[in-house]
Amino acid sequence: MASMSSGDESLRLCVFDLRRGQTEGQELDKILFFHPPELDVSTQLSVTGLSEGLITFTRLFSPEAACEVIEAERHSHVFYEPEPDIWMVMGMLKEVHSLFVMFHGSVRALLEKEPTGGLTRAQLYPFITDYLSNLFVGKKHQLPNFRETTLSERGTVQMLTLSKDTSLEVQSLVQVLDSCGGNLRCHTMILFQDLLVSTTLSPNDTVNLFTFAVMRLTSQALSSDASSWSYLRKGTGSSEASSRSTSAPLGSDNMHSVIRPLQNDKWTKGKDGFLVTDIWGLETGGSPDSIIPAVWLQQTQERVYLLAYQYKSLTLLLLLSTTAILNGDLSVSDVKQQVIEQASLRIMKIEEKISRGWGGENAYHVKGYRYLVVDSGLEVSRASPSGKVATLAKESLLALNKLREEVDLEKSRAKRQERDLEICIRAKNNAWVITRVTRGKELYMALEKASDTLLDATDAVGRFSNRYCSGAFLMD
Amino acid sequence: MKEKNSTTASTLGRILATCSKQAKDYGSCVASKVHEVEKDLCLKEFLALKNCMQHTVKIMSSRPSSSQTSVGSGALSHAYIQHPSLHCNIPESRGLFYDDANRLLICVTSSQVFSWETAPPFNPDVSPSVDSVPEGPILSVRFSLDEKVIAVQRSDCEIQFFHRETKKKLTHKCRAGSESILGFFWSDSPLCDLAVVKTSGMDLFACDSAMNLRLVETKKVNVNWYIYTHESRLVLLASGLQCKTITGFQLSTAGVVRLPKFEMTLATTESNSKPIISAGDVHLVTVYGRIYCLQVDREAMLLHTYRFYRDAVVQQGSLPIYSSKLSVSVVDNLLLVHQIDAKVVIIYDLFVDSRAPVSAPLPLLWRGYQGSDSSSQAANKENKSPESSTSNENIVMYEDAWAFLVPDLILDQTNKVLWRVHLDLEAISASSSDRTSLLEFLQRRKLEANKAKQLCLGIARALILERRPATQVTQAIDVLVTAYSYSVKAGIYKELKNEKTTATPPTDGASPDNERGRASGSSIDGEEEVEMDLPSGSSDEQQESQLSSPAISPDELYKFVFASVEETMVEESDYLVAIITEFLRSISAEKLKVDLNIYVMTVRLLARSKRFAELSLFITNKIIEPSKEVALQLLESGGQNLRVRKLGLDMLRQLSLHHEYISSLVQDGYYLEALRYAQKRKVTSVRSSLFLEAAFASNDMQHLAAILRVLSELIPGFKETSEYYTFHGLLNETSSSVAV
Repeated sequence: MASMSSGDESLRLCVFDLRRGQTEGQELDKILFFHPPELDVSTQLSVTGLSEGLITFTRLFSPEAACEVIEAERHSHVFYEPEPDIWMVMGMLKEVHSLFVMFHGSVRALLEKEPTGGLTRAQLYPFITDYLSNLFVGKKHQLPNFRETTLSERGTVQMLTLSKDTSLEVQSLVQVLDSCGGNLRCHTMILFQDLLVSTTLSPNDTVNLFTFAVMRLTSQALSSDASSWSYLRKGTGSSEASSRSTSAPLGSDNMHSVIRPLQNDKWTKGKDGFLVTDIWGLETGGSPDSIIPAVWLQQTQERVYLLAYQYKSLTLLLLLSTTAILNGDLSVSDVKQQVIEQASLRIMKIEEKISRGWGGENAYHVKGYRYLVVDSGLEVSRASPSGKVATLAKESLLALNKLREEVDLEKSRAKRQERDLEICIRAKNNAWVITRVTRGKELYMALEKASDTLLDATDAVGRFSNRYCSGAFLMD
Repeated sequence: MKEKNSTTASTLGRILATCSKQAKDYGSCVASKVHEVEKDLCLKEFLALKNCMQHTVKIMSSRPSSSQTSVGSGALSHAYIQHPSLHCNIPESRGLFYDDANRLLICVTSSQVFSWETAPPFNPDVSPSVDSVPEGPILSVRFSLDEKVIAVQRSDCEIQFFHRETKKKLTHKCRAGSESILGFFWSDSPLCDLAVVKTSGMDLFACDSAMNLRLVETKKVNVNWYIYTHESRLVLLASGLQCKTITGFQLSTAGVVRLPKFEMTLATTESNSKPIISAGDVHLVTVYGRIYCLQVDREAMLLHTYRFYRDAVVQQGSLPIYSSKLSVSVVDNLLLVHQIDAKVVIIYDLFVDSRAPVSAPLPLLWRGYQGSDSSSQAANKENKSPESSTSNENIVMYEDAWAFLVPDLILDQTNKVLWRVHLDLEAISASSSDRTSLLEFLQRRKLEANKAKQLCLGIARALILERRPATQVTQAIDVLVTAYSYSVKAGIYKELKNEKTTATPPTDGASPDNERGRASGSSIDGEEEVEMDLPSGSSDEQQESQLSSPAISPDELYKFVFASVEETMVEESDYLVAIITEFLRSISAEKLKVDLNIYVMTVRLLARSKRFAELSLFITNKIIEPSKEVALQLLESGGQNLRVRKLGLDMLRQLSLHHEYISSLVQDGYYLEALRYAQKRKVTSVRSSLFLEAAFASNDMQHLAAILRVLSELIPGFKETSEYYTFHGLLNETSSSVAV
């Protein structure tokens, strides 16, 4: 289970397996990860014990759907069960779990493979610490600021809108890249800066890989590594994290190689345009397979090698079947050669074309609106640029936050069924805060023109919907 | 037709397979030495190939299976002459002439002039027009461009003119002794109507309707011989001891243009230090609207090419020759070089920079009747027309008495028949391995546009069915799309309404009158053009107007290529998707429109290969343009994937297809959203019973209740309708607990 308590103290985070440590005195075996690690064992046990108790208790009332949030006076518990009996904290921890599974496979499978839990702990500790270090760099360990997150949606992808011509060029490039893998289909994903241009993966895999790419691989991730990040790293954030991870209390098993895919500042761009890292390499030696980054695809349950190619703002991810390469049907250097020969010219042209048409970070700003549109089916979202969201009054943000909580609650109640929802709130500062949920699509919006009537506000939403969402959000 | 194609192809295939080594050797030799000037270039390789081929052909033709009537050194060829021929066998004939300006074949007796139209196709039964002229020697005959005057050269100092209507007669003489007349031709330039070439230069005359000649201008040049073609309106005057200094004039509708003087290239050997060029060694050819001069250099065994620009003559490389006797024809903008001694013809496409031949040297073939080449039909016709069967036996390929007429005629002076040279596009296609350049080649064909088009479609289909690498197919598609785009922009492309009728070109509209009318209307003064203009009304332009171009529209590509392979490639949707993406890219780059069926097909293929991520990208980025058909396909394919279905629904809404949108919403159980939409958009076409029935069918009585309630509030008087009673009753029956 994961329990996250956020109150006066900084966040506590825990991953545990209910099936483990069932006998008296073995409780510690339940815990797969605990943050902060310096917390004494008894506190760790009491947090997990409480969480387990809450989960078991609430199950009595709702055997089908487990409890997700318990809000107490001074702290709240958030639970998330990503795999049967493996519990984590909700929200962004969905993300860290998905990423973990992408790199290491499911926690369950790891535990089955190695029942002592040593390997799992050894992998989980640095992984989650690396993840958190990224979130909280230079700050106290707190949940991300609501100002930054109110109008954004974790677990979705931000798309770049392309003209038909460019899009065709991109799709044509996708076909070329596909053919670089010989007869086997090779999945690809293309990003421009931090925006998705094209993908051939399922929505889930797209989201996971996209999240990782934006964290570590895109031109922006690489350049921030090089400049401001390295400076910050030397300060508080990740140096702290890395020292902690190495001194993880449960110790890393020397028999197994610990890979830290989320480790910062580990990727560089090679001369040939391909991104290189030693995260998978060097330490292990042995099979040549082990030095190439590899990820698991959820959709196909297939392990694939990840090749990243970068030209200016364009980042291309190629996923090659590991079996084909281990069989010797395909060689990574051949594929790289193919990409350089067949595609590099097109990549250059496409980068140029996209850059020319790209409106900059405020490209998706719509004057007078602060918005977030989420398509949960496609797992795609688009929002006002954060710089613009930051101009909202605190009251509007608070109201928006409240609204989002409300919608989340409503959605979790409805579970898998799609709900239609429409809420308009007049905030304290007379701003209109509006949400419209319909058939898997969500729209959140803040309109700060105090003189607007409700009618004006719904009209504004209607106009926005017609203009930017092809009329998806019909208002009453 | 199909049967024949395959037999030709397989015959060729067999021969090429047998002689592949020799063919390769020869080809690589030619390719490597194209720019070198050397005697007997690749002769050894060529002869080896020729021997091999002839040997193979002999073996094959000895088999009884060969059904085609053909003469020549074998049944394998890329160029052929074909029945019907034009017979000009007049008793007491004293000579045969060809008037290229009027395209008349002329046969003279001592006192009569017989003339035949030679515009395609030949009509063997047509009788010649006959004109009487006073007796006397005839050195050459040309009709005036309006065909009212017959000009006859009587001697080297006398030309006589006879008016066919007024019977007026005029004699023109030059100064005997000091100069002699080499020849004459009629002109349609505004300056003059007649040009007389003499040893001392060229006299230009105006000629009025009363047939009065008036000297307009004299161009003083020492002339040994001259050549002229009406097609190019170009006259080349040769002077100098070796006759290699050339002065040229173009007498076009824009006036008389003097070309810069130039020297022809002649290699010398020890045995022949001063070779002389004769008129027969120089040929004027017109291809793709460009004028070239070809000159035989016997010592070097090369055929030099010169291209005429408005202000320059540029040598453009040389072609190897394998025969000391040589002639050329131009068919459909292709240059056919007849290697007369070797009895083969080599085809060149001067459009491309490469001087490599289009295909290996092969004999010229004689063919029986056109059409569905079943032997029975050919035999039938032969029975009816004894002439053709006799000519069949008498034909000797490339015999001495053959005269090659501009651009594509062969006059057999022994048999007194006129042949037209044809190309066998199928055979050329079958022997070409580089299909991208083959497609380009076929797209440039105009004479047999429909055949070229069908071949292109066949090649495109084959490329896909053979699962060639996507890059290769892409190149092929690009060629076809670009060619189409070009022909649309140039206004050449015409939709083929009925392919069967266009297969045989209409015969009218090809008269010389027609040609002249257009030629005079055009001007060649375009100063901005560097290229030397070709007078309009040339033969290939005329064919353009009759035939559609081989360009293939995107819709046809869809219909005859993609749609036709889809069924057989169900398992290979991935591959087809790659191909179609490239097709769409090519189309979009050329800013062309496509039939929406291609979009529907793309949706189907993407959904079938479960590439939903790409499908939604295709839709959201409008690669697939929205339409009702696409939306319905999305809904159908969305049976397996909810996201795809939603894309379909969204598209219906975007297109304001209210009825379909509402029905689909209802079908998916979104009753309230559907009602809300109907109300908002004031859609009245959707019956209220649609909602009620759907809700009832869903077996969810709460839904039914809700809808009944909403409808009663929305529609005034709804509670009084029979519908209300029916469903209200049903509701009460099924579940009395739900309150309405």
